[in-house]
Amino acid sequence: MTPILRSAAKVPPAYFVFVALLATLWITKPQLMNLNVMGIFVRQVAPLGILVLGQLLVMRVRSIDLSGAGVLLLVNYLIASGLLGGLPLPLVLLMCLGIGGLVGLFNGYLVAKRRVSAVIATLAVTVIITGFVQFLASGKPPGNMPDIMNDIYKVKWGPVPLPVVLWVTLTAVMSVFLSRFVFGKFVLAVGENPTASHFSGVPVERTVLIAHVLAGFFAGVAALVQSASVAVGSLRLGLEMPIDAVAATILGGVVFGRGDGGVWGPFFGVMCFAFLFVVMTSFGVPEPGKQIARGLIILLAAVFYGLSTRNS
Amino acid sequence: MPPAVTMTGVTKQFGSTIAVNDVSFEIQPGRVHALMGENGAGKSTLMKILAGVNQPDAGEIALAGRPVTFSDPRDALAAGVSTVFQELSLLPNLTIAENMFLGKEPLGRFGAPDRATMTRRTQEALAELGMRLDPKLLVSELSIAERQFVEIAHGLKADAQVFILDEPTAALNAADVEVLNAQISKLKAAGKAVIYISHRMDEIFSICDDVTVMKDGGHVVTQPLSELTPEKLIALMVGRELGDLFPTRSNEPGPPMMSCKDLRVLSGTKPLNFDLHRGEILGFAGLEGQGQSQIVRSLFGQIPAARGQVQIGAETINLPMSQQSGIRFMQALRVGFVPEDRKEEGLLLGAPISENIGIGLQAARPGFKPILRIREIVMRIMSELNVKAQSPSLSARALSGGNQQKVLLGRYLASGMDILIIEEPTRGVDIGAKAEIYKLLRNLADQGKALIVLSRETVELIGLCDRILVVHGCDFVAEMSGKDATEQEILNAALTT
Amino acid sequence: MTDTASATSHPRRPNRWLGKHSRQGNWLAALIIIVATTLLLLVTTDDFATPQNASNLLAQAMPLIIVAIGQMIVIVLAGMDLSVGSVMSLTTAILALDGSPIVLIPLVFLAAMSIGLVNGIAIVQLNVHPIIATLSTQFIVLGVAQLLRPVAGGSVPDIVVSMVTGSVLGIPAPVFWAVVIVAVGWKILHGSRFGLHLLAIGGGAASGQTDTAHNFGLNDGRNIVLAYVLSALFAALAGFFIAGRIASGDPGVGAQFALDSITAVAIGGTQLSGGIGGLHGTILGAVLMALLANGMNLANMSAFLQGAIKGVILLLVVALQSRKKMGL
Repeated sequence: MTPILRSAAKVPPAYFVFVALLATLWITKPQLMNLNVMGIFVRQVAPLGILVLGQLLVMRVRSIDLSGAGVLLLVNYLIASGLLGGLPLPLVLLMCLGIGGLVGLFNGYLVAKRRVSAVIATLAVTVIITGFVQFLASGKPPGNMPDIMNDIYKVKWGPVPLPVVLWVTLTAVMSVFLSRFVFGKFVLAVGENPTASHFSGVPVERTVLIAHVLAGFFAGVAALVQSASVAVGSLRLGLEMPIDAVAATILGGVVFGRGDGGVWGPFFGVMCFAFLFVVMTSFGVPEPGKQIARGLIILLAAVFYGLSTRNS
Repeated sequence: MPPAVTMTGVTKQFGSTIAVNDVSFEIQPGRVHALMGENGAGKSTLMKILAGVNQPDAGEIALAGRPVTFSDPRDALAAGVSTVFQELSLLPNLTIAENMFLGKEPLGRFGAPDRATMTRRTQEALAELGMRLDPKLLVSELSIAERQFVEIAHGLKADAQVFILDEPTAALNAADVEVLNAQISKLKAAGKAVIYISHRMDEIFSICDDVTVMKDGGHVVTQPLSELTPEKLIALMVGRELGDLFPTRSNEPGPPMMSCKDLRVLSGTKPLNFDLHRGEILGFAGLEGQGQSQIVRSLFGQIPAARGQVQIGAETINLPMSQQSGIRFMQALRVGFVPEDRKEEGLLLGAPISENIGIGLQAARPGFKPILRIREIVMRIMSELNVKAQSPSLSARALSGGNQQKVLLGRYLASGMDILIIEEPTRGVDIGAKAEIYKLLRNLADQGKALIVLSRETVELIGLCDRILVVHGCDFVAEMSGKDATEQEILNAALTT
Repeated sequence: MTDTASATSHPRRPNRWLGKHSRQGNWLAALIIIVATTLLLLVTTDDFATPQNASNLLAQAMPLIIVAIGQMIVIVLAGMDLSVGSVMSLTTAILALDGSPIVLIPLVFLAAMSIGLVNGIAIVQLNVHPIIATLSTQFIVLGVAQLLRPVAGGSVPDIVVSMVTGSVLGIPAPVFWAVVIVAVGWKILHGSRFGLHLLAIGGGAASGQTDTAHNFGLNDGRNIVLAYVLSALFAALAGFFIAGRIASGDPGVGAQFALDSITAVAIGGTQLSGGIGGLHGTILGAVLMALLANGMNLANMSAFLQGAIKGVILLLVVALQSRKKMGL
């Protein structure tokens, strides 16, 4: 590989894909290219974007978290069912974040201490939560979201919707946290080589555990934003969100143990998803096409990194 | 009768180090041939080439006069070379019979592996060795000795003409050694050639007929053992010159900085007591794998079976420490451990030099604190250690072995350790960098720090250390001062116990 | 050294079936739970010991047994296949297309074979982690199944239904096929060089001796690809069975089978790290899962709660199997 190609390979695919998608939209659907419409597209993926912040963290320490689906469903249900109706809203919101963190702690314990395969552990957690919530709801849609949440969701700052502001702010905080705080160094070291990290004094298990707790917490935030975006609670949230989060993260140049794309690479990975689904819809690609796109993105990106790590 | 093995100009290079350099000698059938040399003399590499594990860069090997090339160990076995390595080469979850026939299973009815035949022929091969093991036992159920006999039986079954036994007695008790010796005699009587690597001098002289001595990858001599005495043999093995590389030793060491009391590495080993003094470089010498590394790793919680006490300053630590946090705990007491395997245990190869040097400093802080500004420290360390790199943001992978080692040592310099425990400070490092590293270590000692150094290269320990402890079987068998120690003395202590 | 033992010690008998050193893994726990559950159900319910329920039980257990055998083939060599559920869904979707069974039935197995090939090649040639490779094909295949049949419906050829629910040579079809498939699974895993080589590769991976099997001259790459192809083919067979029972196509029908099959394999004593496991353990595991489902149905337990309980079982089983590696 020439040096130019090698440094091009370091740029996350997300940036290229993002530009390509934007160009496609601009040529085929110029009427969509205004700030208000764009704002709505981007607002749709804000929960995904927040979920990705956790996903990139666990993937950088060579783990994965597919339990976001369970957290989303549980939070969605708790708010819509009115089960916590008597409690003031701020407390409910705090509880939801706490639930996310607890699920993350549980994942982290299984992965870091018990050394359970992260995919199996977090998938099983999703299965358990999903079954439990559906049991509580007896399979029926739980009810309406509080109006106030939807009102907050619709607030705009100029043309920028509030959820997008939240997403960008959290991304910036995460970026600073990883680059300016010791924990970021731990994440870098553990991803690069857990054994060498251990011998240089990095608390490997604790780093993986905390990464999972934070991922659970972000899943809780994402779940709140997601819940606010819908008027009625739903039990039909599938595995798509965490899988999209994995795909967006890989697209953004963060893959198991490697963080070339930083925090903003996956951010643009999520932006790609915002426009990918718009482009696919505008070309009349049906819903299953999106499933195939998800799978293909993960597979192609994993192949790309699999080959590049084998060569080095 | 042609020689069983003829080596002509065999050469093998790993990176910049020449492991085997232009080696030529012959091994006769019906004789037991000892291969001797210090650690790192190239014996193991040469045997791996003969066993098909490694391929030579140059030179030729002939078996019974016919030139051969092996692309893998299976080739070698098919050509009649059987190897009993120290490392595991049997699969633990398969039975003895399955291991014996793996890849060449006889097929019975319906194309299934013919287990009856496999069992019978395995039984026969084991019976030839006088073994009564059930061929249906899993290898994971066998003792190390039994595994070695299974490997010999594997060779017998494959009708091998050359048997390589790499330290076969290391894990055997006296009774089993008797059995093994009887087997070796049988092989000899059957006209097979046996290559025998051992560090036990008495064994060599009682079993072997010929000896080849290697030194620094090169061939020294091949001759009948009857012409040699143990003293002469050791004299042939030693004699490496590295004299000018070492800085001069300084004054008397100060008071103890670390004391170990009744340190037992494994449950059955002898209790060890030793002090490490301020300003001292203490060397652990000995043959490979005699427990030097286990002793120092047990001080960091990495050997869960270790027991004993370590006193550092006012702190008394009871072993074992937690495996997870032992390293961090000791670093907080300003005791650093530099592991031998730079690539796997030492460096973050894909990360920049600055991160590699800085990670020790950062790791001493809680995760939620802001990172330390370490740019100046990194630049200072890099210039102090003369790390040759364009910029601290270069990844460690891009550096030469010597510079990588300096970066690794730089990590512990940056975090200001008082006691440094270093495994193989100059492994895979070129001669210029070696001298620099020796000077650095001596400077640290002069600054009032204390060091323990482990090395395969006895000369290095003699040149560098103030005091040397010779380790054998996780026990100290001799203590000498670095000034007076000779290679011969150390080897004698390590070999004759 | 303390690890010395006399090579001439008295001969030992191998524990081939049970014990710490059994290569079959710990399958006894599954058997004990099965017996206990059966006894419990016999005592507490009237409907359990009916011929109707027995045939229901077998029909319910069959798809899981089949897909678990395939899953076991890859787990034994230290891999995993998360795409099996989607392959099952795709199979029902293909069978419910308009077309002649002469075209559709070979098409099903051709599709499965190609999916297995993609998985295997991605893992062996392209250096992708097995879980990531099969996770992504899980979604690709699911998407294709949904394209072919967006919602459950259509009808499968009559021959598929009669092969699965009728009788063959006077024997009820599920029983006949159970015997055939178990025989095939036994042949692959325990009655062939291939099966032995799978164990060798998996054992090498589990004990960190990844090159050992290779040094014995085994072609590990080709064996691994073949294992993933077989896993996909078994999944297609399981899908075929379900299609015959529901007589239609359903893109959601396989969703739970990826995890269920892993649970069945793990609960049957097979080590997820590779090299240890027996076919009978996997069958016991699958039967146990079916029995629990049957019992929970008889007890009128909510299907949703059953799902949660299966998740708890999976977590318990994998958390009790120790491994060294952290992460994926």
